Amino acid sequence: MSIEDLFAAIRTAIDAGVVIAFAGSGELLAERVGVLNLGQEGLIGIGAVTAVLAADAGAGPWVAFVVGMAAAGLMGFLFAVSVVVIRTNQVLTGLAVVLTGVGLSNQIGNGFQGSPVMHTFETLRIPFLADIPQLGPALFNHSPPVYLCYIALPVVVWFLLFRTRHGMNLRAVGQDPAAADAAGINVTGIRLAYTTIGSALSGAGGAFLMLDLTPVWSVNVARSRGWVALALVIFAAWRPALLVVGAFLFGALDSLNFLIQRLNLGIPSSLLKMMPYIVTLALIIVPAVLTRFGFKGRSTVAPGALAQPYFREER
Amino acid sequence: MSVAVGSRSIRLERRLHVDPRRSALIRVIGLLASLVVVALLLAITGRDVPVLAGEILDTTLGTSFGLQSTAVLATPILLDAIAVAIPLRMRLWNIGVEGQFYVGALAAAGVGIYVDAPGPILLVLMALAGALGGALWILVPALARAFWNVNEIITTLLLNFVAIQWVTWFSIGPWRDKEAEVVSATPEVGARLPVLIENGILHIGFFLPLILAAAFFVVFRSWRWGYEVDMIGGNPRAAEFAGVDVRRRIMSVMLLSGALAGISGMVHLSGASGRLQGTISNQYGLSGFIVAALAGASFVALIAGGLFIALLLASGVALQGVGLSVYIVLAVYGLALIGIGVGEMASRYRLTIGDRREHPVGSERGPP
Repeated sequence: MSIEDLFAAIRTAIDAGVVIAFAGSGELLAERVGVLNLGQEGLIGIGAVTAVLAADAGAGPWVAFVVGMAAAGLMGFLFAVSVVVIRTNQVLTGLAVVLTGVGLSNQIGNGFQGSPVMHTFETLRIPFLADIPQLGPALFNHSPPVYLCYIALPVVVWFLLFRTRHGMNLRAVGQDPAAADAAGINVTGIRLAYTTIGSALSGAGGAFLMLDLTPVWSVNVARSRGWVALALVIFAAWRPALLVVGAFLFGALDSLNFLIQRLNLGIPSSLLKMMPYIVTLALIIVPAVLTRFGFKGRSTVAPGALAQPYFREER
Repeated sequence: MSVAVGSRSIRLERRLHVDPRRSALIRVIGLLASLVVVALLLAITGRDVPVLAGEILDTTLGTSFGLQSTAVLATPILLDAIAVAIPLRMRLWNIGVEGQFYVGALAAAGVGIYVDAPGPILLVLMALAGALGGALWILVPALARAFWNVNEIITTLLLNFVAIQWVTWFSIGPWRDKEAEVVSATPEVGARLPVLIENGILHIGFFLPLILAAAFFVVFRSWRWGYEVDMIGGNPRAAEFAGVDVRRRIMSVMLLSGALAGISGMVHLSGASGRLQGTISNQYGLSGFIVAALAGASFVALIAGGLFIALLLASGVALQGVGLSVYIVLAVYGLALIGIGVGEMASRYRLTIGDRREHPVGSERGPP
């Protein structure tokens, strides 16, 4: 393996992590306001297939990207109305979103099997930085959503959550909706809004998948990235920056598989494919065990009201 | 929550008593409503709905083969649903039944291919291996939940993907059938569950979930163990004060759940598929999970729900006949789920329309 291969692998790792980073950030927002949205897999599918539809109708990549976000956002809004207003069970309704999203996107996408998306994102070279030997092309020669996802997204989410009054309110809604309600915060409104925004971000992940990463439709397009995004939110302990780091790590494991397969070391691909899930599981369990045995680490506690419907009359 | 309309207010009130029969009825109405939505969508896209509905009933319930394949499909779904329902009674969500099913089938296949024993004994050994495999697969999430307080939803889920890859590797790698040139499956296991009808496909495994559901109905009604599990589900702290060892119950319930899912894999392997392959489960675990959750962990409702979901999945054959892909069944499935979920909530609350002056602020909480 040459040094070029290594940097090429880093480049792929960065791109591969984007889908999970978008979906994970969306999930993080929803969970911070107390809504467990298990529907990621379906939302990514919807975002992907509507982006393909838009691109097929002649839209440019940005328009298709926004269409993907809007469609997933709409589906997320319906989910939010169901769990926040009607207060259906969040786990079950989330699974319903998975089924409906995966089913619908496969049905619609069936006609696009094998035909590449016409207008994908162009790469945006960052001047000067991209000229650094090896490292430059690996880090600073990606399509615009990649920079958005690794730089703008975590900063914006972090600032919103931890540096604004509104962010404090929305964390309060996720922690103790009754107290937040008593303080005059609109619990229902905030939960609806951030579940919808979060779903739109998952749609952005799906759209990116089709408009840059692998611009050909295939069945079950999300390839369980949605489930990984859900797991990474726990790994990241509901912190936006850590989530993006986790997404990149997962992308790295993904591209490492690819690299090892190319090197032909004789390791079966099934065994490589299970590695990311085992690593994610370890990343979730090990910190909890360490805390248990007296290591004082960062807080790994979920938002207090996660997956709990709020009903004012039942305080 | 109350909405004011003029001098009257419309309020959503929680029912203090939910009549189970009424609740079941409303869920069925929710389900029918979502099926009506599907029918409308199909009609809009130019399909002849009545003819299609007739065809669906014909292919699933109208013929002996249709009935048998629906029952064969229902068997793993029902067994998985029972596996989910038990931990659900103490509010533990085992989304990993799919993975435990796979590992159970894997362990059973290993015994079924490589152990030489008379049929009935081999079947018992396979079932034991399946139960052990399934229990092993939930061991880490169970320990993490019981001792380190790690939420079980994601940990059990992640292991599904690992299990599927193990089964894929074994069935195309070391255990592959080299003689029959079947590229992606193992040889047939040494013992098969007997079929009920000559030349039919319905095997006796279909009765296992029915027997188990009845057994667990009794266990949770009159055994101390079941009572303690229900108590933890109601209020874990109260249960702990009452002297229940909550950690031990978490372990026993989760391991039992994994073992049942493993047996489900063994039953499907020895009853229906015969060979182990990467696609041995058609997301039965997910269906079982949904059935158990919709049934509210009731062992009676679960049987009805499981049979219905099997019918829904089996109807995919007819839908494919009119140019719809198999995926549309998934979407219908999701919609049906939402319909039932909304119905469930509707049965727990009631709308009251009253004079606003009758409800001064202090009475918002309702009667104590």
